[in-house]
Amino acid sequence: MAVLTAPRKATRKKTRHGGLVAWGFALPALLVYAGFLVYPALSSLWFSFTDWDGLSAGYNVVGLDNYTALPSDPVVRQAALNNLIWAVVTVVAPVVLGLVLAVILNGKVRGKPVLRLIFYTPAVLPLVSVASIWGWLYNPEYGAINAALRAVGLDGLAQPWLGQDSTALGATMVAAIWLRVGFPMLLYLAALQGISADLYEAATVDGATRWQQFWHITMPGLKPAHYVVIALSVIDSFKVFDLIYAMTYGGPGTATQVMGTWMYFNVFQYNQAGYGTAIAVVITVVAIAVSIPYVRSQTKEHA
Amino acid sequence: MTTVLMPEATIATTHTPPKKAKGGLSTTVVMTLVALLWISPLVLLIITAVRPLSDFVANGPLSWPSTFTFQNFADAWNIGNFATTYRNSLILLILKVPLGVFVSAMLAYALAKLRIRFGRTIMYTVFLGLTIPIYITIVPVFVMARSAGLTDSLIGLIGPYLAFGIPFEVLVLQSFFRQLPDEILEAARIDGAGAWRIFLTIVLPLSAPALVTVFILDAVATWNEFLFALILLNSDAHKTIPVGLLNFQGQFSNNNTGLAAGILIAVVPILIAYTFLQRWIVGGLTAGASKG
Repeated sequence: MAVLTAPRKATRKKTRHGGLVAWGFALPALLVYAGFLVYPALSSLWFSFTDWDGLSAGYNVVGLDNYTALPSDPVVRQAALNNLIWAVVTVVAPVVLGLVLAVILNGKVRGKPVLRLIFYTPAVLPLVSVASIWGWLYNPEYGAINAALRAVGLDGLAQPWLGQDSTALGATMVAAIWLRVGFPMLLYLAALQGISADLYEAATVDGATRWQQFWHITMPGLKPAHYVVIALSVIDSFKVFDLIYAMTYGGPGTATQVMGTWMYFNVFQYNQAGYGTAIAVVITVVAIAVSIPYVRSQTKEHA
Repeated sequence: MTTVLMPEATIATTHTPPKKAKGGLSTTVVMTLVALLWISPLVLLIITAVRPLSDFVANGPLSWPSTFTFQNFADAWNIGNFATTYRNSLILLILKVPLGVFVSAMLAYALAKLRIRFGRTIMYTVFLGLTIPIYITIVPVFVMARSAGLTDSLIGLIGPYLAFGIPFEVLVLQSFFRQLPDEILEAARIDGAGAWRIFLTIVLPLSAPALVTVFILDAVATWNEFLFALILLNSDAHKTIPVGLLNFQGQFSNNNTGLAAGILIAVVPILIAYTFLQRWIVGGLTAGASKG
């Protein structure tokens, strides 16, 4: 797991300020981090091997029983599929839209600061309020979305967006896309400013079209940005909880359950803390496995 | 931002007419429309919040109000218990954010400038925290809080909030600290300044922009945090804004104008802060995410 090359490098230079003083600076944060993040995460791993209900004093160790029960739980299968759909859609759509917006805003547009401000605004709102806003827009009777459809004569398309299996997950993802486009846009905008204008001029002189310039200058120039944007978006997508919980509560039925919410319901509603933590462990392990290359790259760059 | 001259000149020599200026105008129009669509949920929210419920029901959500009222805000404020939830969120912010930024800065200093042993292992472990979903920790955190008698208390939230804030703060701060020239720190050391003195009188003041950014982003995250608050706080007297808003949403599900006013009450401080401080937010996200 840990990087093994670190101690070897330490031999290169002894400094007076290492040692105890350095640890004095590091310890407060490390203790808090270990006590409230590392320890609880590992402790959850332990609970996932038990049949604890979350309330009583005692519990039995049941080994891998919770894990072997997962595949036969239809809600877990649904939640895992929803997590996958969620990860693909709420990564790809915001990244593509963010890139398009960034390229446009990087060109000749007036009022760039205001436009940038607007597109990033949803990202700073509490997720619960985003859920409230969209829940309200989706309201079958008084919601703005159905009202807009009726206003343009598409009455047939007006429907209970969050109230039926076929549209509920899609409806929550629209809200997620709305709030997540701003972040890739900002990062791409910053990265675009690092691409030399000379390259475009030279290409224009050589007769390259806008489209060719995009594929042969812009996209390669954005390579480091793509990596960071996609990595952070993927990491974020695995954490989905607030939006689903506040918008649909996993429903209708279990149509919008994801691993995070299904874990919560098992622990706090069905008193199956052992089983619930097993669900959380599975999705967390996947999240970490997918993110390790990014974490490693951040560590390397700064070492 | 007037690099317009060069391309224009280039184009003039080719047979294409000066299309760029016009292109700028049509792009601006299109982008303005897209931006309006993008922000329309918030605009609708404001319009709905300032009209009477009867007017909303009679004319629909997309109509312009026939009369204006601020009564919705008064109703929502009282029924939504916002005086309490605002106070609680503010207390949490004041207790947590400065402390979190300070201990993160200390760790970042140790990593960036003090050549701590196992530095890379520490960084790796801490950055891994960026990927950990909160829900993996809620059962043990709940058990810990209960055994410490800290459920239903804002104090019980501070530990978990600090722990989940540390990875990002350390990531941004240590990459900023690394760019501080070693010569300055070395000179202070030769003058007899200890590590603490250097940290407090040189490193922190020189890093003010990064500290401000991290402070703001951490404040936004703290203000918005939902899951820990949901599981640890249960009495109305201790709820924070996100949890209070969720309750409120349930109670007002049939009162669209009141609901809109309540949502606005919950998000207005963050919108105002964002509008004024966006320069710092944008800078920090970019710095934290790209390489330092």
